[in-house]
Amino acid sequence: MKHFKGLAYPYVVWSFVLIALPLLLIVLYSVTRGDNSLITIHFTLDNFRKIGDPVYLDVFIKSFEIGLIVTGICLVLAYPMAYIISMFDDEVQGILILIVTIPMWINTLLRTYAWISLLSDNGLVSQLLGFFGIEVPEMMYTNFAVIIGLVCDLLPFMVIPIHTSLTKMDYSLVEAAKDLGANNLQTFKKVILKLSVPGIINGVTLVFLCSISSFVVPVLLGGRQYMLIGNLIENQFISIGNWNFGSAISMLLAIAILLIMSLMRRVDTEEKGAEE
Amino acid sequence: MKNKTIIELRDISKNFGEQQVLRGINLDIYENEFLTLLGPSGCGKTTILRIIAGFEEPSNGQVLFNGENIAKLPPYKREVNTVFQKYALFPFLNVRDNVAFGLKLKGLDDDIINQRVDKMLTMVGLKGYEKRDVTRLSGGQQQRVAIARALINEPKVLLLDEPLGALDAKLRKGMQIELKKIQKEVGITFVFVTHDQEEALSMSDTIVVINDGVIQQIGSPMDIYNEPEKRFVAEFIGESNIVEGNMIRDCLVKFDGIEWECVDKGFKPNEEIEAVLRPEDMDVVDADKAKLTGKIVSKVFMGVHYEYLVETKYRKYKVHTTESYDIGKKIGLTIDPYDIQVMHIS
Amino acid sequence: MRLKKIKIGAKLYILLCFLFFYLPIAVTMFFSFNSSKSLTNFTGFSMQWYGKLISDQNILAAVYVSISIAIFSTIISTVLGTITAIGLSKSRRLLKEWLLNINNVPIMNPDIVTAISLMILFSSAGLQRGYITMLLAHIVFCTPFVITSVYPKVRSMDSNLPNAAMDLGATPYQALTKVVVPLLKPGIFAGMLLAFTMSLDDFIVSYFVTGNGVSNISILVYNMTKRINPTINALSTLLILVVALGLIAMNLWPLIKEKKKNRPSLSGKVMRKRSSRKRDKIVFWSVTATITVIAVVCAAQFSAISNKQTLRVFNGGEYMDMNLVADFEEKYDCKVVYETYDSNESMYTKLESGSTYDILVPSDYMIERLIDEKYLKKIDWSKITRKNAILSNLKDNEYDPGCKYSVPYYWGNVGIVYNKNIVDKKDLQQGWNILRNTKYKNQIYMYDSERDSFMIALKSLGYSMNTKDRGKLKEAYNWLIEQKDAMNPVYVGDDVMDNMISGSKAMAVVYSGDAAYIINENKNMDYFVPSEGTNEWADAMVLTKYCRNTDLAYKFMDFFLDSEVSKVNTRYIGYDNSVKSTFEYFRDVEYKGNSGCAPDSSNPANEVFHYQPRKTKEYISNLWTKVKSN
Repeated sequence: MKHFKGLAYPYVVWSFVLIALPLLLIVLYSVTRGDNSLITIHFTLDNFRKIGDPVYLDVFIKSFEIGLIVTGICLVLAYPMAYIISMFDDEVQGILILIVTIPMWINTLLRTYAWISLLSDNGLVSQLLGFFGIEVPEMMYTNFAVIIGLVCDLLPFMVIPIHTSLTKMDYSLVEAAKDLGANNLQTFKKVILKLSVPGIINGVTLVFLCSISSFVVPVLLGGRQYMLIGNLIENQFISIGNWNFGSAISMLLAIAILLIMSLMRRVDTEEKGAEE
Repeated sequence: MKNKTIIELRDISKNFGEQQVLRGINLDIYENEFLTLLGPSGCGKTTILRIIAGFEEPSNGQVLFNGENIAKLPPYKREVNTVFQKYALFPFLNVRDNVAFGLKLKGLDDDIINQRVDKMLTMVGLKGYEKRDVTRLSGGQQQRVAIARALINEPKVLLLDEPLGALDAKLRKGMQIELKKIQKEVGITFVFVTHDQEEALSMSDTIVVINDGVIQQIGSPMDIYNEPEKRFVAEFIGESNIVEGNMIRDCLVKFDGIEWECVDKGFKPNEEIEAVLRPEDMDVVDADKAKLTGKIVSKVFMGVHYEYLVETKYRKYKVHTTESYDIGKKIGLTIDPYDIQVMHIS
Repeated sequence: MRLKKIKIGAKLYILLCFLFFYLPIAVTMFFSFNSSKSLTNFTGFSMQWYGKLISDQNILAAVYVSISIAIFSTIISTVLGTITAIGLSKSRRLLKEWLLNINNVPIMNPDIVTAISLMILFSSAGLQRGYITMLLAHIVFCTPFVITSVYPKVRSMDSNLPNAAMDLGATPYQALTKVVVPLLKPGIFAGMLLAFTMSLDDFIVSYFVTGNGVSNISILVYNMTKRINPTINALSTLLILVVALGLIAMNLWPLIKEKKKNRPSLSGKVMRKRSSRKRDKIVFWSVTATITVIAVVCAAQFSAISNKQTLRVFNGGEYMDMNLVADFEEKYDCKVVYETYDSNESMYTKLESGSTYDILVPSDYMIERLIDEKYLKKIDWSKITRKNAILSNLKDNEYDPGCKYSVPYYWGNVGIVYNKNIVDKKDLQQGWNILRNTKYKNQIYMYDSERDSFMIALKSLGYSMNTKDRGKLKEAYNWLIEQKDAMNPVYVGDDVMDNMISGSKAMAVVYSGDAAYIINENKNMDYFVPSEGTNEWADAMVLTKYCRNTDLAYKFMDFFLDSEVSKVNTRYIGYDNSVKSTFEYFRDVEYKGNSGCAPDSSNPANEVFHYQPRKTKEYISNLWTKVKSN
């Protein structure tokens, strides 16, 4: 195996140039001002001060709110789903998991577009419910539409890790619990749920990450006034052209996510520690 | 009678970082011999094997193969093959393809490969298992596949890294005999690594006892057992009572305040020595018929014999005998001169 | 996990979840057979969008880009990720930790951060953005997924296995390919699948790092917002079918094979093993074949391009009939690299970040800015044979007096399109303030443009829309905030058109040309321009200082001044053309009576936008962000 040691070197170079360097550039942009040129560098903290403006803080708060709601809904929907799927025969399980993953092969934008046809004022949902005489409130360009779009988009990311952790579980532990007199509910709560915690943590992190930084779904389903962090960054870079402020926001977002991740990891290891 | 040497290790040492695992190893391995590297785990015996195989480079020293230094030659250019501890069979290949692996790399014709695989599998007793999934074989069968896979390449030397370690006791005995038989059949050198002294004693032509990265003794099983040169060897191989004493002169040794006749020569007058007394070599006699007397303090039935602990004036002796005595009985102990093995103090 | 019986309720739950998953996909498929353009009203069965799909060069190019990028980035990142994972397990601890940590960055970082970081890198390095930058970016975010799925397998692998291979005579390379890779296959395969999915589905990263007309399906769809068009549904239907059929075939193939043999097998396990091996082989060869085909097509395409002269055009989304561009390419045997943007500001950002083009089609104030920054080349009018076809009033403008730098393209103004059945005619007298008439609460679409929104507020307050006065701007800001609080309007982009055609709301702020298009599609709609004045805009073609092939660029401009060409183009776009004969034809014949066509430009209160100093622009931008996210 020592013969393969050198195999990691190309990626060392690669990761420095295409991962580390770009991040350093973001940091550089975030602490400078000026006309996006590196020749004359003026250091400043204005960009960060600007984020303190309630308007931008609100965007951050709203993004985290939406992220939490979407993650919560996904977890509630996905856990039973993964659990039920894991009860089928191996072959059926394979097919069911395939069915869960196929939508990921179809462009997110296309799927999001479909929600427009479904949710718009004269769209299919309101037409259908209208047919039964149910008056539907406006759905497009609301929180509801954004949340539905995100949940539909991100649900597989929750189902798959949970399913993996459930299938990896040693079934003899469940039997042991029953043997020791636990009923079904107790077995579920004390054993199965505990053992699937790593999967839940993986899923929660993935969904939360994707939802707070989402960009396409809010634009298409939330309308242009719907600002999440992702949209704010895009706005700064593309429409307004203030790369420095945009970089500052990006950096803050990345740091926030790093903190959340390390927190999650700590929860994960604590769980594991408690088991041992 | 010794054949021509095939591998010579010259002053090999090996460091892993700060840790020195081998020190000044010198070893000649002869053609057609069954050589065992014996030692406790972590003593460096596997490292020697890996240096011969080419998986590790020695930090210092030479590995001569037919007189040529191969210390820096990669494993795939060496004429040795290895049977690994846990067999290292390729799980994604069936029995036939595992055995044929080396030949396929050489680009031989399918016909020839099939022929030789057939022959090999017959030899190891796995004919008819060609299409089996290796992961579904028993431990003993996997072992045979591993041997066949290595031998099919017609190596000059076969290296075996604790190959019997994973088998149960009964299977192990069978495999020991079979390995020996195979070695005779193919007529090449086997270098065998084990920590099991019984295994080493029963199979080897030569045993190399290693401890702490240093060779303790090289010799035939008989030599090693009967004439351990160092305390470690005496303790590690078989059971022994080791006592300190002085060499009065050639063929006379004194310990426990008693002078004993022995057969060892070549010590300085009055040199401090250690003597090895095997428990089975100590004879129990009536108390008045012996210079050394003591009281039996414990008795354990071991199947063929009893193991007694005899408390004498200076120490407790471990004694094996088929006779039954009661605990508390006063007895005498005698030792034949040729059963006393005198060692320099190490 | 095996429980004996799965309750019917549980099965039903799974079914409902799948329904939720597949609802949007089903809708997509359903509307691909719609006979009209609408994505909300099914008007009848038709296959026309499939026909359009096959003939649409842009979509085909995007499909090609998406799939080829996905395949190449998957292959490269799988190889890179696998060898890295293998090397990593034997590396020194410090190196290992650094690599594993940095490898997590693209996974954990939000896509948008990865996207902008790469955009900054590419533009700082002065790399030409396009296919290669997109491919690089995809490899950047795909490789970590491969590493994370392969690395655990490497660690759990018995390290004696590669040793055994080398012991048996395999060179390190052979040990790698014949032993290590087969051992890691499950991990590699999982990583590969993940990489492929990620690459195919990516929008954000591609959107930021691409350029020079290279767009994948996502970018194409995003830029299509102006006129959502069921061709894209047809495309996704086809993609879904291909994916589904492929997966089904892969799963059914062994069953069919087994049935065909139709004799009791020795042991089911052995049989299945063998057939799965066969299946692996089939998958392998079909993938190889696909890659080869695509590589050949790719090579052919690139060589074809490189032999022709090219023209790089950067235009607004849906702002040119692509069939005409194809005609132009054929006529002059050249290649037009056509790329689109969604606003003047994003165009400017793109130029700033180092992308270069031959022809741009910006609006008035942006032209003024570009002239001022000496970014444009003067037009040599002698090269433009049809210069006399242009409406004379367009040449006489404020942003580029005498058209020294620009060739007029389309023009119009901003007004309100309204539903005649809902909006009371009398209320139109209120002018812009109708947008604050609480009678129409929840019935209003505002246009997501900071300039036009502030224009409305400023005009309604009686100020110039070009004011730099902070007090007046603050007043306008308050106007917009009050309007938002009172009316709860929705701010939309180009999706306003589809929404108004389907009659979602009573009123929308739109450009006159869009209004003409909406009215044409939905006769209940009408258009009016408030008397307080409005933004009179014009878009024109300009030559950048980086223009490489000026002759071809003039031919391109001239081509779109042709009366027939401009007619076809106008039919597609719906705005008021700069060619006199075309303008008059639509005013008097095709769009006769359509109030969105031929806007009245006699109101002296109307103005043209000028570009704002940086400070003012930033001030307005911040206010606008506040309005929207309030």
